[in-house]
Amino acid sequence: MNDKPQGLTAARLIYQDRTNRVMELKAQGRKIMGYMCLYPPVEMMTALGLVPFRIFGRYGEPTSSADTVLTPVVCHFLRSMVDQGMKGNYSFLDGIIGSHTCDIGSVAVHIWKDYIPEPNFVYFIDVPHTDHLPAQEYFKGQILDLKRKMEEFAEQEITDSMLAEAIALHNRQRQLVRELYELRKADPSPLSGTENLEVMVALCSLPVEEGNELLQQVIEEVKERSQEQLDERARVLVWGTVLDNSALLQVIEESGASVVIDDTCVGTRAYWDDVPVGGDPWDALARRNLVDLKCPRTYRQASFGQLKRDYDAELTSRFAYLKSMAEDWKVEGVILQSLKYCDGHGYDVPGIRHYLDTLGIPSIYVEHDYTEGSLAPIHTRIEAFIETIKL
Amino acid sequence: MVQTGQASEKGPKKMGINRLKSMYPLRNKVDEAYFKSQQAIRNGKPTAWSMLNWWEGDVIMKSMGVEVVYPENYGAVAAATGVAQKYLDLAETDGFPTHMCGYARTNLGYTYRMMKELGGHVPPEAPMGGMPKPDLLIGSGFGCDARFKWFQALSRYIDAPQWVLELPLIGVAEKQAEGVDDYAINFMVRELRDFVAFLENLLQKKMDWDLLEQNAHYTLEINRVFHEINELRKARPCPMHSSDFWSSVTGCLLMLGDPAEILSLYKDMYQEVKERVDNKVAGIYGEEKFRLVFGELPPWHSLKFFERLAERGWNFVKESQSYQPIRPLDLSAVSDPLEKIARISYQFAHARHAQALNNQIYNPVVEIYLEYVREYQSDGIFLHPLLSCRAASSSLKSIQDQAMKRYSVPSLYVEGDIIDIRLFNPEETMARAEAFEESMTYYYKVRQEQGLAW
Repeated sequence: MNDKPQGLTAARLIYQDRTNRVMELKAQGRKIMGYMCLYPPVEMMTALGLVPFRIFGRYGEPTSSADTVLTPVVCHFLRSMVDQGMKGNYSFLDGIIGSHTCDIGSVAVHIWKDYIPEPNFVYFIDVPHTDHLPAQEYFKGQILDLKRKMEEFAEQEITDSMLAEAIALHNRQRQLVRELYELRKADPSPLSGTENLEVMVALCSLPVEEGNELLQQVIEEVKERSQEQLDERARVLVWGTVLDNSALLQVIEESGASVVIDDTCVGTRAYWDDVPVGGDPWDALARRNLVDLKCPRTYRQASFGQLKRDYDAELTSRFAYLKSMAEDWKVEGVILQSLKYCDGHGYDVPGIRHYLDTLGIPSIYVEHDYTEGSLAPIHTRIEAFIETIKL
Repeated sequence: MVQTGQASEKGPKKMGINRLKSMYPLRNKVDEAYFKSQQAIRNGKPTAWSMLNWWEGDVIMKSMGVEVVYPENYGAVAAATGVAQKYLDLAETDGFPTHMCGYARTNLGYTYRMMKELGGHVPPEAPMGGMPKPDLLIGSGFGCDARFKWFQALSRYIDAPQWVLELPLIGVAEKQAEGVDDYAINFMVRELRDFVAFLENLLQKKMDWDLLEQNAHYTLEINRVFHEINELRKARPCPMHSSDFWSSVTGCLLMLGDPAEILSLYKDMYQEVKERVDNKVAGIYGEEKFRLVFGELPPWHSLKFFERLAERGWNFVKESQSYQPIRPLDLSAVSDPLEKIARISYQFAHARHAQALNNQIYNPVVEIYLEYVREYQSDGIFLHPLLSCRAASSSLKSIQDQAMKRYSVPSLYVEGDIIDIRLFNPEETMARAEAFEESMTYYYKVRQEQGLAW
């Protein structure tokens, strides 16, 4: 009999204390590599035997140290992340890879390096703003520069076979996550958005093999759940900025909805597309992380070099995946949420709402600031929105 | 710190900023070029709305006969003339979050009004003749995310195509990687070649490569002379106040007017500044009591405030890294004008990386300001964070902290905004400035005890 927590219980425990397992692994001699956002290729870390550990803030904890080096108008997630670093809460990491996800995200990496002595290895990878071929090739150059530095750090080369094996493991994880999301197509969904987020956060805190094992347990557990125990709820999609904490999803689900699918970077964005196999793996990493990742930080257009823009065609080209999600998961409404001061997401809000309007899908936009206090004013709005889509 | 008996010109006792005479013809020429450009636009010349792009797109567009207007600058004009609020309200009503860039929201609201309410006509209340509907939109990947996302969002109102100019942003230590400069420049050149092809398709005309070569040459030359003028400002007393920099910078930063004329006017300015250095004439009347660095975007609506500070002996000796000319580059061995342009813009973005690494600073913007403090021997930094401009504000606290830690130079931190001009309170700031003088005086003594050169 194995007494070790399994499935959703295990995921919740990891979610509640993300460092527990990596500290055990560290004690066993494994090196832990922190990374910021989705652009540093986790496959390279896995290939070198490093444990990828995504760096988040600490939701709800007031910032103090970071306030001495960042102005008040900086996004509260980045502020909290830097704050945790300055307080020494990430000093257990052996290295960190940050990226030019957004302008302020870049500053956060630079400030991290200027102010936080541990760990010593902090690498910054540039990410171009466009996604066409010259940009992909430039980004590949950045990835290859990172490879050389990581090899020096780990005192080991990344061979093609090591990388291929790591890509296979991470693609397997993506496939399992998609399988889990498939289960949420059922009506009612057997897995809440809150529970799902706990699993996704746990995956960012474990070696890929352990994450895959956890996912298999969760999938089996969810499959066994009885549909009869579940209430019928309005089915919503949540779009927007990073959600590393379930507080907002709890507000939504307490208001009578079920979050059945998301377009966020701890959720589907991280897992929806595999790294293609069969060709040059470095080309594949560059393409997958620049082209396939659908963060609004990248400039995309209907066709490269187009001489006239058609608004509706452009929206369709950029957001058709939301239509597919809405259809496949039987979405009745979309909640667009954004951390205050996130420019990348903010500029897309009217366009996405317009696109959803053309599809006949109701939507609402809410803003928060990485505190539970900021959720109180939007709770009522979300309740009212859910009431309207239930009608 | 205090330099007695060096700063006054002969004649009646004057106070305030001692403006450069050579600034006026330069500024007039740039203004004239702007109005000619407006006329050309009214006459049907192809028009681009463009982000400031540090020569990367302007040189090419000028060579293709495209007139360029800058909505960022127009946002400042709209704020100063009091019409911005109307546009901000329209942008908010149409769903744009209010925490985003004030210039962007002003322009989004302006375009909404022009296209949705007035059928494409310039709003009658728009100052300086307004901005007519563009034929193309040129975003920039450098500076901040708004600078390409905002134009993307404009497709909500106008069908003009958009191009995004790529300018890599490589880390301080990461730039030491072998070959990184080569592949980054190669990336930019490929992008620029595609940009030229895009313009040729759009405008149905071919690039005049000789003209492009000539314009690239002038860009380098104008930058070189303006850089040398700014080098002269290291002198004590500083011969040129920041006000003259701001009044003359557009001639270098934007490709307005005849570049040969603009270059000639900068050479005149060099001569005047050099004469001031030789004769120890300051950029302010009276004694240069304090040498200040300004960061970042100034309160355009309250520039008279600097006159009052000048009367108290504050000389602003360096400012705003985003607008500075590049350090001189020898590109005589580069035959491709697109590569020249790429190298100019790339130099702007990465010029201090090696020295930053040497000084163990990894935020390149911070190193630039530390260089200003060090080389211009500044007594204090006037930092102006902007509520709705994260890009210009995000490093200012770190600059404040590092300047104090490394050089015992204090900062005056005064909040404002690019659009909501009420946030900058000149009277309150003046009271704080008076108290800040004590701080500058105190830290001058600290630096002396530490053996620093100023």
